[in-house]
Amino acid sequence: MIEKLFLTLATLALLHAAYSTYEHLSLLKALGKPEGSLPLNIVYESILALILGLLGASLNAPPLKDITWASEMKKRTIDGMDSRLGFAHYKSRGKFLFASPHDGKI
Amino acid sequence: MSLQSALERLATYRANNTRASQDIFRNGLLVLQKSGFKKLGDDAWISLEQLALASIDVGRLDIADQCLQLIADNFPNSPRVDCLIGIRMEATEPPETALKYYADILEADSANVAIWKRRISVLRRTGKVEKALNELVQFVDTFYTDVEGWLELADIYASCNQYDHSFQALSHVLLLTPQNPFYVLQAAETAYTSEDFPLAIKMFLTVVDMTDADDSEQLLQESTPLGITVRAWFGVKLCARRIAQNANLKSSSNTSAPKNLGLLDELAAERLRVAYSSSGQKGEIAKGRQEVFAWVATPLA
Repeated sequence: MIEKLFLTLATLALLHAAYSTYEHLSLLKALGKPEGSLPLNIVYESILALILGLLGASLNAPPLKDITWASEMKKRTIDGMDSRLGFAHYKSRGKFLFASPHDGKI
Repeated sequence: MSLQSALERLATYRANNTRASQDIFRNGLLVLQKSGFKKLGDDAWISLEQLALASIDVGRLDIADQCLQLIADNFPNSPRVDCLIGIRMEATEPPETALKYYADILEADSANVAIWKRRISVLRRTGKVEKALNELVQFVDTFYTDVEGWLELADIYASCNQYDHSFQALSHVLLLTPQNPFYVLQAAETAYTSEDFPLAIKMFLTVVDMTDADDSEQLLQESTPLGITVRAWFGVKLCARRIAQNANLKSSSNTSAPKNLGLLDELAAERLRVAYSSSGQKGEIAKGRQEVFAWVATPLA
């Protein structure tokens, strides 16, 4: 929950800083001195957005998985490993067992 | 059961290659009714294929036809779609129609793996096991790295009680997937059935090594064997018993019997006791615990 909050705040802060920069630059162009420096507030805002964004992205990551084969194999079953789906028989009793009883015919 | 959890379950089943058709059908139907497949983008087609196959398995051919129509509309002239159409044909038409359909496709393109596999499957299902076997041997000669083909070969041999040939097929599987303890377990059990007890006990211990080896933090005494490790310990105990009963044993693979058979037997007994003593999820006693304890306590030979 908090990580999504961080991410949205970071995005908004970055967009706000970008917009402020654009406005400041248009102001400088209007005043006739296009090489004026950027106010420090905007710089601090973008650095804050970076830190918040980093925190939000790291916390928002999916849970870590093990890297060993043994740990992956612990989650599998014999039926999954032996299923041989390419050779599976699709004409089974399923048609008779699971067909709806209101079909009226077997 | 929400859309998200249904999609996740479908993805898990796809990753683990399980054939849980009824559950897949239930979840897939939910996704289909809520038109959730459109959200998935590229994954939508494999999910639809999964749902189609599960519906055929469960007998709901109406849903299967719906899914197949969606897939076929989007991918005309695709070999994978041809295979699905073939499977749908297998479910209702007589096998000769399906075989003729596959023969036509294989004439045009004789290296079509999926269609060849279906043909072998239909031959096996209709009882022409020898023909299926010949075709399958040709198949694995052509496509050596196809693990499913070797596993199916091992299964056909085992069903005809030719356990040595089955073991040979499984040895190829082990070459192709050396990190998989399930196939080592299958090979160990096949070796046991063909009465090659020293080889079997070696392979059972290999399974234990593979599945229990990453308990590096805990001592062996404190870890409980779970899953196929328990099955492997059962195998060790059975093999130890048979080797002890039969002093002059000849192993067809010329494997020598293990030296400390008594100690191995004791270790297997202790591990099985630990496996069946650990309290289950609700603190209840494992089923069959008394029987296991009684059997494990019988002396060797």
